[in-house]
Amino acid sequence: MREKMKAKMQAKDTFNNALTYISAGLGVLILGSILVFVLSKGLKGLNFDLIKSNYWSENYLATVEESYQTNELNDEHSSAQGYYSTKWGIAIDDTLSAKGEKQLEVTYVSPNSPFAHLLNATAGENFEKPLKMHTGYTIEKIDYMTADGTIGLAGKILAQDAKTTIETLDKASTITSVYFKSAGGGIRGSLIATFYLIVISLTISLPIGIASAIYLKEYAGPTKINSLIRQGIETLTGVPSIVYGLMGITVLFPVTQLVGATTTSILLGGLTMAVILLPTIIRSTEEALLVVPKSLRDASLSLGATQSQTIFKVVLPCCINGILTGVLLGIGRVIGESAALIYTMGTFINDNPTILSQGTSLALMIWSFMSGENPNFELASTISIIILAIVLVLNIIVKLIGKRFAKQFV
Amino acid sequence: MLINAEKVKRNKAIDKAARMFFLAMALLSSSFIVILVLFIFMKGISPFLPNYQYGTVNLIDFLFGMTYRQDQKLYGVGFIVINTLISSFAALLISLPISVLTALFIVKIAPKQLSGLMQAVVELLASIPSIVYGVFAAGVLTDFVKWLASLFNVTTAGGSSLLAVILLLAIMIFPTITSMAITAIGAVDRDLEHASLALGATETQTNFKVVLISAKSGIFAGAILGLGRAFGEATAVSMVAGNKLYGPTFSLFDITKTLTSTMLAGLKETTGLDYDIRFSVGIVLLVVIFGSNWLLNLVKQKVGNM
Amino acid sequence: MKAYFKVRDLDLYYGEKQALNKVNMDIYRNKVTAFIGPSGCGKSTFIRCLNRMNDLIEGCRVEGEIMANGEDIYSSKTDVVNLRTRVGMVFQKPNPFPMSIYDNIAYGPRCQGLKDKKKLNEIVERSLKQAALWDEVHDRLHESAMALSGGQQQRLCIARAIAMEPEVILMDEPTSALDPIATSKIEELVDELKKDYTIVIVTHSMQQASRISDYTAFFLLGEVIEYDLTSTVFKNPSDKRTEDYITGRFG
Repeated sequence: MREKMKAKMQAKDTFNNALTYISAGLGVLILGSILVFVLSKGLKGLNFDLIKSNYWSENYLATVEESYQTNELNDEHSSAQGYYSTKWGIAIDDTLSAKGEKQLEVTYVSPNSPFAHLLNATAGENFEKPLKMHTGYTIEKIDYMTADGTIGLAGKILAQDAKTTIETLDKASTITSVYFKSAGGGIRGSLIATFYLIVISLTISLPIGIASAIYLKEYAGPTKINSLIRQGIETLTGVPSIVYGLMGITVLFPVTQLVGATTTSILLGGLTMAVILLPTIIRSTEEALLVVPKSLRDASLSLGATQSQTIFKVVLPCCINGILTGVLLGIGRVIGESAALIYTMGTFINDNPTILSQGTSLALMIWSFMSGENPNFELASTISIIILAIVLVLNIIVKLIGKRFAKQFV
Repeated sequence: MLINAEKVKRNKAIDKAARMFFLAMALLSSSFIVILVLFIFMKGISPFLPNYQYGTVNLIDFLFGMTYRQDQKLYGVGFIVINTLISSFAALLISLPISVLTALFIVKIAPKQLSGLMQAVVELLASIPSIVYGVFAAGVLTDFVKWLASLFNVTTAGGSSLLAVILLLAIMIFPTITSMAITAIGAVDRDLEHASLALGATETQTNFKVVLISAKSGIFAGAILGLGRAFGEATAVSMVAGNKLYGPTFSLFDITKTLTSTMLAGLKETTGLDYDIRFSVGIVLLVVIFGSNWLLNLVKQKVGNM
Repeated sequence: MKAYFKVRDLDLYYGEKQALNKVNMDIYRNKVTAFIGPSGCGKSTFIRCLNRMNDLIEGCRVEGEIMANGEDIYSSKTDVVNLRTRVGMVFQKPNPFPMSIYDNIAYGPRCQGLKDKKKLNEIVERSLKQAALWDEVHDRLHESAMALSGGQQQRLCIARAIAMEPEVILMDEPTSALDPIATSKIEELVDELKKDYTIVIVTHSMQQASRISDYTAFFLLGEVIEYDLTSTVFKNPSDKRTEDYITGRFG
């Protein structure tokens, strides 16, 4: 009888333990599938050009430099995808654009190719300035001349595919002009906007947050007003970020109008983020203040220093790590934030953002093209990888700081 | 003696100024919540006031209406509130047991290295921004829902559905609840455990019968926090919720509409009723969050006293 | 012989709880006065009244009078900062600031607005010499004070207090965290310092009190049971409780 009971008990224990293993396994599974999804979709698109280039593609009309117009290369060295013209040193492939349209994408340009020596033909300040065809650009139209002097066209304008385009070009003896588009799909503008956001929100949030934390930890006695102040700050934590967005456009928009904003702007987004960051900054500063031993404050006061001298000269320097933690967590929050910014910054992807213009942060950029008709999972995943990488690095640094900080006063 | 009367006077003045500055900043920080509520409230109630320039909306229709169609000037959020409650509580229902068991695993059951690794997994999940969860949900969860629906011979709107929202929210609040539960379980008095072990209970029995029950208050707090996050989650939810015009939605495979997805839908307007009504929805959202928070805290006190 | 502190009917409360009860005491100039008694007897509380460090404690209330150099330190006219520059303090655990040795010593003078480099150098050198630390650290003044040994740190804290040129130095169990060798160095130092300063020391060790002090006060449950010349207190106590404590019957 006893044996039977014991066996039953053991079985139940094993079952219960197994449950916890399964639960933890689910957590790992979720993280794993998020990472696998994002990496499998986005890793392809991850390259340095992404950071440098604009989101919106630009149109170029260009003529070929005189000396290169008839420069036949007979260059055999290309392993690029698609169809290669040995004569002109260019490879083209059939691909689909981000919007799902057929396009002729350049996959290789030889350095001596006429396509690497172009002159801008659009009127304006860049007129006659040198241009270069890059991989990733798409060809719309090429003007050429054959040996007998007939003028011809090639490219997407004639609904040619890559193969026929190359075949047509190989008949030509002179290339005169090219109409093409730059790649687009880059994140340069959003990176700049994200940077602005971080700078604006931290410059405002840090002094207010640190000073508030100092008041709460170093000055505030247990009075009713002080507990109300604390309550107010703690309640901020429970407000969802979308509601902060509403606050941004009603409360803070008039503030940005004072400095000349006419619409929602990066400045407004930054101000809104500053409020969102306040509880984070205050909490990490408070935690750091808590660790500074009372004996240091006593020592300073016993030497005749005033309380503010004690705070600025002794206490705050000891808190640098905690404040840094708050800054890093804040940066992570700004980079990841979307809901509040949709209201306050707009969703227009701006390649040349200024503080008073609309723009998108990296996260907002994802929202911008994911909420449209044709969601672009590849680019969204690529940007997600970048966001995750930054957030991961920030978190690791926070961890390291925390470890060092714990030892500081032992 | 190093005292210089002039200096002392100046120092004292600086000290006083610094104190005032710190106090002013603290007051500013805490006043944001008041300003926030006040402004959103003022703007949010304007559509219900008589003389509203774009045509007054009936408050009762707004609160209890079961259709939300801007084109027909029908603004009823009753079903949206119900949808929000359904999706958030369902997410909690899924996430809570998994979170608690994971926390128990990390603190008590896992071997040391595995526990550290698992803790890192939870922290990583917590640090993933909601937009990335949104991309994941739109790319993976919707496919999963489509596949599941095909088993039941149901069609879905590209996978956007109540089920997708629930799964997404369950995933998103998992790290929140787990880390609170880890703290709560870690804080359980060792003596209690020893007492249980001394009575001949196995370690597993102790973990499930003594540790979890002693930690229930902290776990409950984690659940409240997680629920708050589920109510307020906006971007990711909007990416898989769909845009149901009437409701409430009870079918798992049907599209839905939450308070936050309502607030994010159709952002083109910058004035007018469609703009102002978003603030009214915002008030409802705040009421749902803080109301449920308050209610659950009452329950928690009751439970805590048992 | 003149008293620096004159304490009259001093009561101290932490919220509802009374921690000091009708303390009356004269503390004499250029003497070492030791406070002894079991832990929780109020001796540390009392020493912290002498430079109003108790102000920092939540809900602490003081009644009665302490005259320092003829001035009531709890009067509303008294400037606490000014008082603390005259009455320095050394704490139980060495608590150097996480700065260089030099900056630690120069901290107090700088807080009073002293910027003159030459003068600061002089103060640092003089203070370290007086605290018998100069020889050990003069070649590494700009290294972190945290790298010093515990005993050195405590002498640094004494030097830091001396730098303010106070009239009194309060020491709250200054050797309780130190080893015997470091302790004896501090004790020698105290003997040296009393030429220039009035010293009040709280100690947990009766041997220490008898070795270094001129006067001893025995505290029990917030009251001064006995206060007299050290030799009298230890050899010929007038109160039974003092005798019991000194002979080790309780502690």
